[in-house]
Amino acid sequence: MLKPGDAAPAFDLPCAFDDKLSHLSLSGIRSEMVVLFFYPRDFSFICPTEVIGFHKARAAFNAEHTSIVGVSVDDAESHRRWARELGGLGFPLLADAGGNLAREYGVFDAAEGTALRATFILDAKRLVAYAVASPVNVGRSVSETLRVVRALRSGKLCPADWVPGADASPADPD
Amino acid sequence: MAALDPQAKRRTFERLANVREIVFGIQDGVLTTAGVLAGLSGAVAQRSQVILAALASTAAGALSMGAGAYLGTRAETRILRSEMRRVRQESQGQPYVVQESLLAALAKEGLSREAGYRIVQLLSAAPQALYNTAEEKIYGLAGATFGNPLSDGLLMGVAFLLGALVPLLPFMLVASLRLGLIAGLATTAIVLFAVGYAFEGRLSDQRYPAVAGLRFLGIAMGAAAIGYVIGLLIAPLGAVPAG
Repeated sequence: MLKPGDAAPAFDLPCAFDDKLSHLSLSGIRSEMVVLFFYPRDFSFICPTEVIGFHKARAAFNAEHTSIVGVSVDDAESHRRWARELGGLGFPLLADAGGNLAREYGVFDAAEGTALRATFILDAKRLVAYAVASPVNVGRSVSETLRVVRALRSGKLCPADWVPGADASPADPD
Repeated sequence: MAALDPQAKRRTFERLANVREIVFGIQDGVLTTAGVLAGLSGAVAQRSQVILAALASTAAGALSMGAGAYLGTRAETRILRSEMRRVRQESQGQPYVVQESLLAALAKEGLSREAGYRIVQLLSAAPQALYNTAEEKIYGLAGATFGNPLSDGLLMGVAFLLGALVPLLPFMLVASLRLGLIAGLATTAIVLFAVGYAFEGRLSDQRYPAVAGLRFLGIAMGAAAIGYVIGLLIAPLGAVPAG
C-alpha cells in the first residue's frame, strides 16, 4: 500500500458521473486535493453508507478545494446504475475493471478480486498525503476524512483530534 | 398436467428424510437376527431355544435402536437449534454482514450482483424472510434439517422389528432347524436386495435399480461376512486351555 510521500500513480479510466459514462484522468482533476477512495463492489450493503456519506459531504469537500473520486473493480455501466440506485452521486466513480489501479496503489485483495476499503488523500503535487485502509466489513468515517483534509490544508502541525479553530502550532505541537 | 402442490411436495420431502431410519432399521434388524439364528443354530441343539434367543434379541434390538435414534435426533436437534439461535442473535446485531454474505451466496449460485442486491434488498423489508433465507443459503440450515426425535425413534424401532421378522418368521415356520436357517438366510438376502432396489434404486430414479439392490445386498452381507471371519479369527483367544 502506498504511504505518505509516494507519488500517486496516474490513471485515465472510464467512469460514471451525473448518469453519464465518460473518462477521467488524474491529470484532468484541477482541484487542489483529491480524495481517492477505493471500495469493494457496487451493489453492496456496506459500501453505500460511505458512498452516500461522501455524497452528502461533497459541499464541505468542495469548500476545501478537494475533489472526491470513488473507485471499484466494477465497470462504468455498473457504476452508472449503482449511482442511479443511490439517487445520484455528486462525484465520479472510476471503473477499475481488472483492479490494475488498486494494484498500483497496493490495495488489491487478490482473494476477493476486489479493492480493499482504502482511502488516499492526494495533495496539490499529486503525492500521497494520507493513506488508510479499513477492514472490508467496517465502513469509513467521512467526517474523519474531511477532518484530515482540513488538517492537511491548514499547513500546520496538528495534534490528535485537531479540528479547525483549535490551536495548531506551525512549529511544534508540544 | 397436474398442478404442483408445494405443501404436498414438502410433506413428501419430510417423509423422504426418514428413509435413513427405515433403511438403517431394516438392515440392522435383518442382519442382527440372521446372525443370531446362524450363530445359535450351530451352538444350541434345541430349535425353541434358538427362537427364544432370537425373539429376545429382536425385542432388545428394536428398543435399543429406537431409543438410540430418539436420543440421537434429540441431541442433534437441540444442538442445531441452539446454534441457529446464536447465529440469529449475531445476525440481528450485524444486518449488513448478513446482507453481504447472502449477496455473495446468491452470486455464487449464478445471479448477477445487481440482481442479487435487489433480492436481498426486497428480503430485507421482512427481516424474518431475510434471516431464514440467509440461514439456508449461507449456513445450509433449514427447517427440514431438523428431525423429529419421536418419529425417528419409532420408525427406527419398527423398521428394526420388521427387519428382524424377515429371517425369524421362516425359521419359526419351517420345522427343521437346518432348513429353517436356509429359508431365513434366503429371505434375508431377498429382502436386503429388495430394500436396495426400492430405496436406492427406484426412489432415487437410478437407471439400473437392480444394481443398487445388488450393491446393498453385497455391502450388507459383506459386512456380516467380515464380522463372521473376525469372530472365527478371535475365537481361539477365548478358548480354555485343556488340562
